[in-house]
Amino acid sequence: MKKTFLAVFILLLYAPFACAHFAAVIPSDDIVTKDESRNIQLDVKFVHPLEMHYMEMARPAQFGVLHRGKKTDLLGTLKQSQGKAPDQEGGFMTWTTDYKIKRPGDYTFYVEPAPYWEPAEDLFIIHYTKVCVNALGLQAGWDGPIGLETEIIPLTRPYGLWSGNMFSGQVLLKGKPAPYVEIEVEYLNESTGNPAIVKAPSDPYVTQVVKSDANGVFHYAMPRAGWWGFSALSEADRTIKKGGIEKHIEIGAVYWVRTVDMK
Amino acid sequence: MFSVFRISILSIVVSALFATSSLAHKINVFAYAETGQVKTESYFADGRPVKQSRVMVYDSNDNLLLEGKTDDEGLFSFAIPKVDDLKVVVREILGHRNSFILKKSEIVASKVTEKGNN
Repeated sequence: MKKTFLAVFILLLYAPFACAHFAAVIPSDDIVTKDESRNIQLDVKFVHPLEMHYMEMARPAQFGVLHRGKKTDLLGTLKQSQGKAPDQEGGFMTWTTDYKIKRPGDYTFYVEPAPYWEPAEDLFIIHYTKVCVNALGLQAGWDGPIGLETEIIPLTRPYGLWSGNMFSGQVLLKGKPAPYVEIEVEYLNESTGNPAIVKAPSDPYVTQVVKSDANGVFHYAMPRAGWWGFSALSEADRTIKKGGIEKHIEIGAVYWVRTVDMK
Repeated sequence: MFSVFRISILSIVVSALFATSSLAHKINVFAYAETGQVKTESYFADGRPVKQSRVMVYDSNDNLLLEGKTDDEGLFSFAIPKVDDLKVVVREILGHRNSFILKKSEIVASKVTEKGNN
């Protein structure tokens, strides 16, 4: 009885310090106009967005793009790279690719990482992550589902957003609305153009939390210019064996949007 | 004097109405080269086609090479008239217009692909 109590106590101690993990797909340009280069770069990584720490991301299980109703597999185009926070030693594995925009419309890039083993939480993490790039003036396709195990369907057009705008989305789990799930929200301090690194006055400011309503819908008003990640967390109905023991999987539906200051 | 005032107000209101509708009805044009043809698409931001609208194609010296009309799907295609930067200008019935420059390099690249596929 005493041992169980101690184990639970230790686990509770860990809980507040378990920083929020976010898989991220960040394009070099999220609105490609006819006067700009149509070659964009996409960085795929696993990070703590506000604290800027990187974690190793193994080669993803799936990486592709949905455009005008058609999915294209881009896994073979990923090149290994690395990244780290200023206060980290050594580089952590990330992935990058170049993509040429050929036709107008919305391009939703998506990644399914390989399961990430998190010993502090004794579970695997898989974050199904999406981001939308708008091209050449045709705003159509941004709300199309990919068909992932879990995903966020944007209800706000996910580009052309001002800081202060609200982002709304619906969380789907196996294609159905996921009511009352927690969505973690975090700002990417590495965002291009971020004038100063944001320092959280206390832990709750690092990762904010909203819950989806009865229809799986959530809302969040973004207070700063840069990239914002939304991660809706559920538990998978399957397990992965590690060391002969079945381990739970935290599956996340992640969506990234960029805001710009109105001047 | 009163009627001049009324006319002025009416003009301002009508101009304002037009200004609002111009922004909401901005048209977009896109062109690409494929299998010896230049294919153009004209569309509003929400994807609705720009139908039955005038298309003019100019070379890099602003010489008019050809004219045509978009169909009900906002499409207009034509055989490559010249290997040059081509400016495709579309003008719809309310006067909104836009243009797209199809680079010579893309036309050349499409011809190479065509040869490779034969």
